Amino acid sequence: MASDIAATTSEKPASAPARGALSDRVLRTLLRPRIYRSLISLVIFLVGWQLIGEYVLTNKLFFVPLSDVAVAFVRLTVSGELWTNIAASFKAIGYGMALAIVIGISFGILLGASRVVADYTEVYLNALYSTPLVAVAPLLILWLGIGLASKVAVVFLISVFPIVISTASGVRNVDAHYLDVAKSFGATRWQVVSKVLIPAGLPFVLTGVRLAIGRAIVGVVIGELFGASAGLGYLIYTAGQTFDVPALFVGVICLAFAGVSLTWALQWLEKRIIRWKPMALED
Amino acid sequence: MEQANAGERPIKLAVSGLGKTFQTRGNPLVVLDDINLEIRAGEFFVIVGQSGCGKTTFLRIVQGLDRATKGEIKLDGRPLAGPGPDRGFVFQHDSLFPWRTALRNVMFGPELRGTPRAKAEKDAREIIKLVGLAGFENHYPFELSGGMRQRVNLARAFAVHPDILLMDEPFAALDALTRESMQQELVRIVAETGKTVLFITHQIDEAILLADRIAVLSARPGRVAKIIDVDLPKPRTLALKRTPEFNAMVEEVWELIAGFEKGTAAAHG
Repeated sequence: MASDIAATTSEKPASAPARGALSDRVLRTLLRPRIYRSLISLVIFLVGWQLIGEYVLTNKLFFVPLSDVAVAFVRLTVSGELWTNIAASFKAIGYGMALAIVIGISFGILLGASRVVADYTEVYLNALYSTPLVAVAPLLILWLGIGLASKVAVVFLISVFPIVISTASGVRNVDAHYLDVAKSFGATRWQVVSKVLIPAGLPFVLTGVRLAIGRAIVGVVIGELFGASAGLGYLIYTAGQTFDVPALFVGVICLAFAGVSLTWALQWLEKRIIRWKPMALED
Repeated sequence: MEQANAGERPIKLAVSGLGKTFQTRGNPLVVLDDINLEIRAGEFFVIVGQSGCGKTTFLRIVQGLDRATKGEIKLDGRPLAGPGPDRGFVFQHDSLFPWRTALRNVMFGPELRGTPRAKAEKDAREIIKLVGLAGFENHYPFELSGGMRQRVNLARAFAVHPDILLMDEPFAALDALTRESMQQELVRIVAETGKTVLFITHQIDEAILLADRIAVLSARPGRVAKIIDVDLPKPRTLALKRTPEFNAMVEEVWELIAGFEKGTAAAHG
């Protein structure tokens, strides 16, 4: 393929440098071990799926080859069903995460900065953090009804804890020297928070948000499985009820894709925001 | 000439009867006992003592980071209570904010006081030039060497235009070569700005190279054992370290400090 481009460019010398540089860049990216290894593993996975579906697990009530999933994907896209459901899920994830980020960070700072707040609330936080919150989803649906509100509530409840806890630990782990510096320059309490605790804790906050995204996707599906009229969880549930295995896989793949792309987006954002470290924080 | 009228210059910092006692599981630990000092405007005053003699505690009390158990500190005749931008503190540790560039680190103090951004930035750029870091304004601390970071540290303290500069072993963590060049830089910067400096170190040669006067602190409890006038000619260069006068002074301070050690050993034995 690279030689094709080279042949074309030799015919059109005017645009040669730009196109040559682009194909070079694509080629160099593809040659990076991290990239070509993941591509190879992806190809093996997809081909393996197709072969297993066609020759090993041939009962289509349990498993289908990849090509059937692709057909279902096209069917659901054309009918508009897929986008309606994706939009419904993402709306709940968006609202729930936004709430979780705002409330999680504010409360995390308070928790990390004040011993008193920590003493009063830590027991409940630890209890809630370790409780499988799936258990309260039916209750939330009872309270808020089937629809956006209950899904947002589940997403919020399940994703707020990693943000609160990592924000608080970020604030608590701020180097005492930085606090001394702020104090010696006469910083007020609010200035200590805004100019030292928040920037110093930011990497922790972003790690918390990254963990929360994965949980938010779990949350929205739980909300939709227990009761909903739209969403990827709803799509999966109804596909299961009607033995529409290809449609079920479409839903699952969309969720996996959402998780991976959101996590990547946040990693990219982390690198943009935290330029003051030689490398972004590793988990 | 500077030396001649040193005695006539007004007193910048006056410390009287200062003491600090820590409560450690019932046993009071006297760290500082009856410290009395008068530091004059424009003076480079060095406190030297072995580690654990309470010299850092003393400096932290002057800055307002710790409280004294007794005694009083006056700056320009006003009693001090709590930290303030009238004193600029240069920390021993690498305490630059890693999330701020060199420029924004230097702007930290003025920013807290609500100085307009444009003015703070212009000031900061000038101070960065003064400490010899022009061109590195937009570097983050992790991109700077240890010596450069201490220059930014110094610039940050300068940026609040303090009446007195408090320096807590600022060069202790640097390698020998960088330390020597930083000492020379500090001499130059202080000469250019005429700042009053209270400097703490455990390195005797550093003390003598920099100081107008040296207070030798005894160990536990820290007391001012002796105040020595360093009347060696200025500007002092590294060549001075090879003169007999310099070595005689090192010897004098060394014997004082070694004397405390013997004293402590005897007390413990």
